[in-house]
Amino acid sequence: MNLEAVFNSPTHRKIIQFFHENQASIDTPKGVATWVGEDRLKVKDALEDLVDIGILTPHRSTSTTGYGYTRDSKLIRKIERLLK
Amino acid sequence: MEETVNHVYQKELFDRLAKSVGLKKGEECFGCYLKPALWWIIEKPNPKPNELEKIIACNCAYLKRSKNKNKARCIKDVNDHIKTAAREKKLVLFECHEGLHGFIYPIMQGDKHYGYIGACYAKKDVTPQILDIFATFTDTIVREIQKELELSKLYETIRPRAIALSTVHTVHRLISSTLNLHELLPRVARLSLQIMRANRCSIKLVDARKKTLLPKATIDLREKRTRLKKVKVGKYAPGKAVKFGRPIRGEDFLATPLIDEDVIGVITLYDKVDDKPFTAFDQEIMSTLAEQAVIAIKNAQLYKEQERLTLGSIKSLAAVLESRAPGTYVPKASFLKIAVAIGQDMHLDAEGLKSLEYAAILHDAGEIFVPETVLSKPDKLTGKEYEMVKEHPAAGVTIIRHIKALKTVMPIILYHHENYDGSGYPKGLKKDQIPVGARIMAVVSAFEAMIAKRPYRTPKTIEEATEEIRSHSGTQFDPKVVDIFLKVIRRKDVRAALSKEVKIDAPGNGARHAFNGDIAEYTGGKIQ
Repeated sequence: MNLEAVFNSPTHRKIIQFFHENQASIDTPKGVATWVGEDRLKVKDALEDLVDIGILTPHRSTSTTGYGYTRDSKLIRKIERLLK
Repeated sequence: MEETVNHVYQKELFDRLAKSVGLKKGEECFGCYLKPALWWIIEKPNPKPNELEKIIACNCAYLKRSKNKNKARCIKDVNDHIKTAAREKKLVLFECHEGLHGFIYPIMQGDKHYGYIGACYAKKDVTPQILDIFATFTDTIVREIQKELELSKLYETIRPRAIALSTVHTVHRLISSTLNLHELLPRVARLSLQIMRANRCSIKLVDARKKTLLPKATIDLREKRTRLKKVKVGKYAPGKAVKFGRPIRGEDFLATPLIDEDVIGVITLYDKVDDKPFTAFDQEIMSTLAEQAVIAIKNAQLYKEQERLTLGSIKSLAAVLESRAPGTYVPKASFLKIAVAIGQDMHLDAEGLKSLEYAAILHDAGEIFVPETVLSKPDKLTGKEYEMVKEHPAAGVTIIRHIKALKTVMPIILYHHENYDGSGYPKGLKKDQIPVGARIMAVVSAFEAMIAKRPYRTPKTIEEATEEIRSHSGTQFDPKVVDIFLKVIRRKDVRAALSKEVKIDAPGNGARHAFNGDIAEYTGGKIQ
């Protein structure tokens, strides 16, 4: 998936919006699913897609993975434009 | 501050009221009865006369054509009625010009008074019942808007806190999931950077003897990186945070002490990515994270201490066994290395590798129950003697069964003489029935036995022993383990360690039979 493609998926878009609005947040797939009001499994796959294209950073442990927003300011500005 | 909040709330309330579809429909509906009414909304609890004039007089057809003194009287009357409505907290009906009617309804919430909705210049036969319905209707609309506002206020205040709480909970899960200090501290540093959106994080732990802070983990995302430095307690922000036991915050740094009973260290963050200063909220969040980090660090330190104790017990046990038959029980570093390397290649987790390491030290501990005469017998063993020898894996488990930390080591010791084809002992397990650690140990201990010196036979060379292992792949040994073993044994570091240790092996060491099932034949321990 590329940046433009993820913006066409409502689930991906909602997740990006959530992290863009809460840039200091780190959350598990279950937590993110709650905030964006989507199915957990759907969110889990979408989170990994967003990791692949660099929008999210994974913090993996044996029991779970916490996802946080990118720190790349150029990418954040691009996302800002696409969200509008 | 409260006034500002109220002002914002009031503005939002009237904005929504003005846009309310329900109110518009109400006006249309009641307009049929009240025609030709002039509707107005006053967005203040105590409007000034000039403000009233702006709202009412400018729109009222009667006042437009009236003289100034009539206008002033009208505004004064309306102002008086507004005061009455505010005082009585209910709809006030009044007489307007030319026999027409007006009414004022106060918009309130408990004791808070926000403004008024009203109408004037309404036809004279408006009944109190109609006005009563209007009052109830307006009240419903206002309450609905107030509820919407309350909900949105709650959403705005609670949601960010709930998200922050969820982040703290996730961080807690992430840092509690490791007991390895070398893994934990960089993880805490990375998470702190992510949460604070900072460019650099350094975690230092206190060296109490030297009164210094030792850098243990630093993550620096800037191009020009800072070198790790020791810091004296009391110096700079990290040293001060430790000395005073409280966070030290500046525009571009935030040092948060890690406090257990004493201060054990400090997490220092530098330079936010957006160049904004660190805030009191950042300090609060970092203090919470530091509290969790302290628990995780203490757990990791306790776990390390427990591991040291366990390893100490194992080594003590091995030393006792060693004193009985020198050179027998203390495994050579190269064999431990081979066992762990195979385990890593088979993707055993940290606990599995640790168990393998412990098992490598203790796998033949049960031989302590086998009479010395049998162990050092240079001739072939009798059937009875061999039966005694076959008891040693179970005996080994008996020795360690009271040490809880070695629970995962027991199956490796108990089954390391099982053969892949089911011909081993004690249970005759086959293939995957044999625990993976035991399958690895079978290969490594057989290899060790073949190249060790024995009084009753010449040791095999590394190549000969390796070939023996290969030839028993799929029968005595797990072929997958053998494949990995063959790969590991070719490694330069393993070769170097083996050559060194095998060369220095003193004559007479390892004076025992290699009771390794079939391999016993190859290593000289023949059974009668």
